[in-house]
Amino acid sequence: MQSWRRKSLWLALSASWLLVLLRVFPLLRLAVPARPRAGAPQGWPHWLDRELLQSFSQPGELPEDDPQPLPAPHGGSCDWGACFDVSKCRGGGLKVFAYPVAGPISDTQRGILASIESSRFGSVSPEEACLLLLLSLEAPAGECSPLPQQWNGGRNHLVLGLHPNFCPQTFQLGQAMVAKASPTVDTFRPGFDVALPLLPEAHPWRGGAPGQLGQHSPHPGVPLLALAEERGGWRTAGTESSACPRDGHCEQDHGPEQTHPGATLPNATFCLIPAHQPDALHFLQALQAGCIPVLLSPRWELPFSEVIDWTKAAIVADERLPFQVLAALQKMPPTRVLALRQQTQFLWDAYFSSVEKVIHTTLEIIQDRIFGAPAHPSLLWNSPPGALLALPTFSTSPSDFPFYHLQRGSRPAGRFSALIWVGAPGQPPLKLIQAVAGSQHCAQILVLWSSEKPPPSRWPKTAVPLTVLAGQRKASDRFFPHRALSTDAILSLDAQSSLTTSEVDFAFVVWQSFPERMVGFLTWSHFWDEARGGWGHTAEKANEFSMVLTSAAFYHRYYHTLFTHSLPKALRTLADEAPSCVAILMNSLVAAVTKLPPIKVPYGKQHLEASPPLAPGDPDPQPPAQDCINQMVAEFGYMPLVSSRLRLDPVLFKDPVSVLRKKYRSLEKP
Amino acid sequence: MCASVKYNIRGPALIPRMKTKHRIYYITLFSVVLLGLIATGVFQFWPHSIESSSDWNVEKRSVRDVPVVRLPAGSPLPERGDLSCRMHTCFDVYRCGFNPKNKIKVYIYSLKKYVDDSGVPVSNTISREYNDLLTAISDSDYYTDDISRACLFVPSIDVLNQNTLRIKETAQALAQLSRWDRGTNHLLFNMLPGGPPDYNTALDVPRDRALLAGGGFSTWTYRQGYDVSIPVYSPLSAEVDLPEKGPGPRRYFLLSSQMAVHSEYREDLEALQAKHAESVLVLDKCTNLSEGVPWVRRRCREHQVYEYPQVLQEATFCVVLRGARLGQAALSDVLRAGCVPVIVADSYVLPFSEVLDWKRASVVVPEEKLSDVYGILQGIPRRQIEEMQRQARWFWEAYFQSIKAIALATLQIINDRIYPYAALSYEEWNDPPTVKWSSVSNPLFLPLIPPQSQGFTAIVLTYDRVESLFRVITEVSKVPSLSKLLVVWNNQNKNPPEDSLWPKIRVPLKVVRTAENKLSNRFFPYDEIETEAVLAIDDDIIMLTSDELQFGYEVWREFPDRLVGYPGRLHLWDHEMSKWKYESEWTNEVSMVLTGAAFYHKYFNYLYTYKMPGDIKNWVDAHMNCEDIAMNFLVANVTGKAVIKVTPRKKFKCPECTAIDGLSLDQTHMVERSECINKFASVFGTMPLKVVEHRADPVLYKDDFPEKLKSFPNIGS
Repeated sequence: MQSWRRKSLWLALSASWLLVLLRVFPLLRLAVPARPRAGAPQGWPHWLDRELLQSFSQPGELPEDDPQPLPAPHGGSCDWGACFDVSKCRGGGLKVFAYPVAGPISDTQRGILASIESSRFGSVSPEEACLLLLLSLEAPAGECSPLPQQWNGGRNHLVLGLHPNFCPQTFQLGQAMVAKASPTVDTFRPGFDVALPLLPEAHPWRGGAPGQLGQHSPHPGVPLLALAEERGGWRTAGTESSACPRDGHCEQDHGPEQTHPGATLPNATFCLIPAHQPDALHFLQALQAGCIPVLLSPRWELPFSEVIDWTKAAIVADERLPFQVLAALQKMPPTRVLALRQQTQFLWDAYFSSVEKVIHTTLEIIQDRIFGAPAHPSLLWNSPPGALLALPTFSTSPSDFPFYHLQRGSRPAGRFSALIWVGAPGQPPLKLIQAVAGSQHCAQILVLWSSEKPPPSRWPKTAVPLTVLAGQRKASDRFFPHRALSTDAILSLDAQSSLTTSEVDFAFVVWQSFPERMVGFLTWSHFWDEARGGWGHTAEKANEFSMVLTSAAFYHRYYHTLFTHSLPKALRTLADEAPSCVAILMNSLVAAVTKLPPIKVPYGKQHLEASPPLAPGDPDPQPPAQDCINQMVAEFGYMPLVSSRLRLDPVLFKDPVSVLRKKYRSLEKP
Repeated sequence: MCASVKYNIRGPALIPRMKTKHRIYYITLFSVVLLGLIATGVFQFWPHSIESSSDWNVEKRSVRDVPVVRLPAGSPLPERGDLSCRMHTCFDVYRCGFNPKNKIKVYIYSLKKYVDDSGVPVSNTISREYNDLLTAISDSDYYTDDISRACLFVPSIDVLNQNTLRIKETAQALAQLSRWDRGTNHLLFNMLPGGPPDYNTALDVPRDRALLAGGGFSTWTYRQGYDVSIPVYSPLSAEVDLPEKGPGPRRYFLLSSQMAVHSEYREDLEALQAKHAESVLVLDKCTNLSEGVPWVRRRCREHQVYEYPQVLQEATFCVVLRGARLGQAALSDVLRAGCVPVIVADSYVLPFSEVLDWKRASVVVPEEKLSDVYGILQGIPRRQIEEMQRQARWFWEAYFQSIKAIALATLQIINDRIYPYAALSYEEWNDPPTVKWSSVSNPLFLPLIPPQSQGFTAIVLTYDRVESLFRVITEVSKVPSLSKLLVVWNNQNKNPPEDSLWPKIRVPLKVVRTAENKLSNRFFPYDEIETEAVLAIDDDIIMLTSDELQFGYEVWREFPDRLVGYPGRLHLWDHEMSKWKYESEWTNEVSMVLTGAAFYHKYFNYLYTYKMPGDIKNWVDAHMNCEDIAMNFLVANVTGKAVIKVTPRKKFKCPECTAIDGLSLDQTHMVERSECINKFASVFGTMPLKVVEHRADPVLYKDDFPEKLKSFPNIGS
């Protein structure tokens, strides 16, 4: 019994021993390496004599190093300041002369030359131009055309090639800027060369396909990843991380996985693009598809990297860390995914969807360099509608444009200028002036007198200033950015228009909510005419509309600048020849910029019947205008107009409640 | 008993039989050892912090006492910098590894004093600025004292100023660092590179693959995406107190304040001064200052003495010319004064140019255009100048004002490269705080009209009003664009009706049972929602016609980033009570729509569930009210846009209540709703709701037009 007790005592002791030992052991292990550190404070020490330390640069030292003779520009390299003579571009801004291509010319090349010529940078003589453009041929090495006479060491030259392999060899280029597709990072001179996208063979040269993203957020069923394949297709993988890829290859098949060798556009949330140059082609495909490009250590410069903030649309990751990248992609918050996807679409549509856009973007970048300070701010390049449609000649302050109020926390100014166009009959629109001047939001009235008759010397007294401008008697003149137009909002009117003060007030309040759109009273709609094989438009009442008449519409004054400086010359002349065309052109232009339909507000019926000229009630269904819409589509390369099915009414419009409660009660008068 | 038997068998095997005496001896011994061990453990554990914090003070040492390292003359030299280095070739990312916080770990070598064979020091041990820099890193989240876990190594060898060190020996000192490995993942900070006569634009110390954070890079020496261009710190930043001066026109249009200016450039500047005497001021070194006046702080024009840097605040534009070096400390002083720098230094890589947009804060003029500078600057619109002045001052505050700011910006840039998916955005780097607060970045910014074919998912929140629910389901199922119906069954005490009892409809119908009766369940981002458009509808909204719902969906397609709903409401400022008031009367304005019947993008469900600010979500669930007001606040706050009310007002039965009956017309109910608005406005810190005076109707609503031909004839009936 005793031995049993003793033994159990022993046992308990040994057990507790073990237990304690087990507990203490980890502590011991911790304690051992800690011991030598016990005395050393963590982090960088706080020196006792910190205050006595000397500064890295003594006051006397900097002025001492007197300037030496300045080093000459570096031999092999060029940068903007050293190798481009800006003084040639003073005055007229950027003027580009493109050398004609000798020998056989491809369609794309012809397209490029035409688009340069028709752009606002185009110039016909090499003397006038400050940038000389040499189109590089995609000829095999050794067959390069001779350099042009005005070459001058390549100074103020841009050598442009849509392919990475280049005709004049690098050593011949001298001081010329190089714009080529996917240049390697090592030879690219930032701020001097321009990186172009690698375009597929059959890239449309104008217009171009819209982005393929049908919805903002990823569809729940869509796979997470697609991987660019060497043969050109895409391979999609499920959301499981094990499926893909180590070293950029999906060798092992796990989970749902499909190969689409024929499919050119991937259907996934992220698109993995390997490092090598030919894979740059996949980059544009991913962009168009709205599949967020994940570039694995690209050795090539991203297109237009000088101005485009690619961190907003793509992810550049290290190819050495595939699993880390995958984990990061899986954990990416929906907000970021949403923003990246939308940005891919915006960039595709603004800069890449056609050869023309790529060329114009290149020239716009060079123009920005010439401008120096008054160039496009980054915001204009990187948010809709993009820098090609936000002209820095209008303003460099984003708040002056109709597009950026939300991003800048600003608002459009609270008043408008009424611009009344007086055409051939030459009747001063007295009633209209009174109605418009009665609006509390009206800042001034401008009468654009375009009649043969001289304007009357006396005008009615109005509460707001009234100015008469002498017009050019051209229809396009009504959209000229007249200096006198000082407010953000313009109410464009015809002398024959008839509006009430209430209508004007309400329409203006609505415009303030939608400063980038046109807000109008009377509408047209466009349609595809199967029989004629072309577009048509109608003024008939319908359940939807895509245009508002510019004879009575609010819009931002920026659209005058855009109409005058950005619309192709051919279209502007068309407007002068067929005055009813201006409305179509203005609406198309605004729709091309906003991608949104205009807004219709209520309009008293009696005016409609009283004043037929407001409606396009010409007896003849305007064949020139029909033509106008088709010519416009041809110039734009696509149909920009967007239809809407709604009208914005005052909140209590025709509601069964006392009229006295209603703010815009006169809108409801029968 | 059984267990003890087992132990009896095992006992002797573990402990050898001994005599009792010995046993007692051993027991005592064991106990002593045990006690000792316990004591050690506790000692290690508990008084550790006290010990180290007391050590903190004790261990304060002098820089002069640091260990001395003798460098043999023949010790190895690193190779010269490799100009082709890029992050993916020369940087070892594996050391950075996976990191849930996406933060690199930075190790700092301990301070040593390096001497050559004959005992002559290689350089000053450490400068004040480099000590500050290392302290800043050590105090930051990046710091680690575990060398084996570090991704980036910062030597304590001070190379800020090349003039104060011996090039070859410093290189040898670098090469013998314990983890040098050809300089991989090592970061050197240098502000004054080069030396006479040729003044190289990058540190001349051979450094192999080490990254260089350098002030004064030219485009030839800067390795894009690998090196970091940093400012040259101006010691005046700490010495002089210069209160901020707002933007606007100043006395001088253009000022030049640098002392060491190349004679050619001084001629150009003097010519400018002669031409525009009133608006241009060109200053130089003072020649006849009395003793004791710090000449660094004075500038002169003929006999007129100006205080520096205060004089910079008198100018709109300030010239920053290259000296022998490209990087000039004057840039920092100029930015601080809110003077727009006019940088005349060809090929200079501006500080932090990888992330900072210098176009917004400076004007870069080619050196050969210096004489035209006046004309160039005149062409800049005034508003833009003010913007640039503000931006210049903000750059100084954020990235120039202290060594700490410079160090942390440098590490952040490297961090952004290593974890690109967690990188700071352009706006985070460049927008001053005032813009950040007032601006809105709409999560659905792309103008995109979703295809009609996608349709919408109707989500009906219900508790137990089965009969009414079935009527709603039947009515909603008539809407052509409905693609799925989701019933959120919020009653845990009662099962939903059997499958066979539900109305038969043409689209899939799913019932989701919730774990708790919470209002926020209606806004949960259920996996079952496959469309972007969501129609939230209460189980008693039976008065909406199919035309009205279909039209609502069409309106949502044109405004996919907004709440598009039927009954509209308004918030008003009550001047007497000085607080917000909820209004449901017939008003001319609208700022909210009730989510008892509203279309919205499903992304807002995610926002409501996971990103609702403050305690609003819990507050709503606790009060069983105002989930709709919360949704209105949330959407207006992220998009900056107003709601769209569709179709005329009609009699909604109990529009205010959701699951609770009989409260709606109650006065207390309105008070509660007003309280919600005030509560939410205080949580959001602002009133995000936007008031508008319009609603959406079909194009031909109430127009004189044959009803048969209207797309949506049955509106407002």
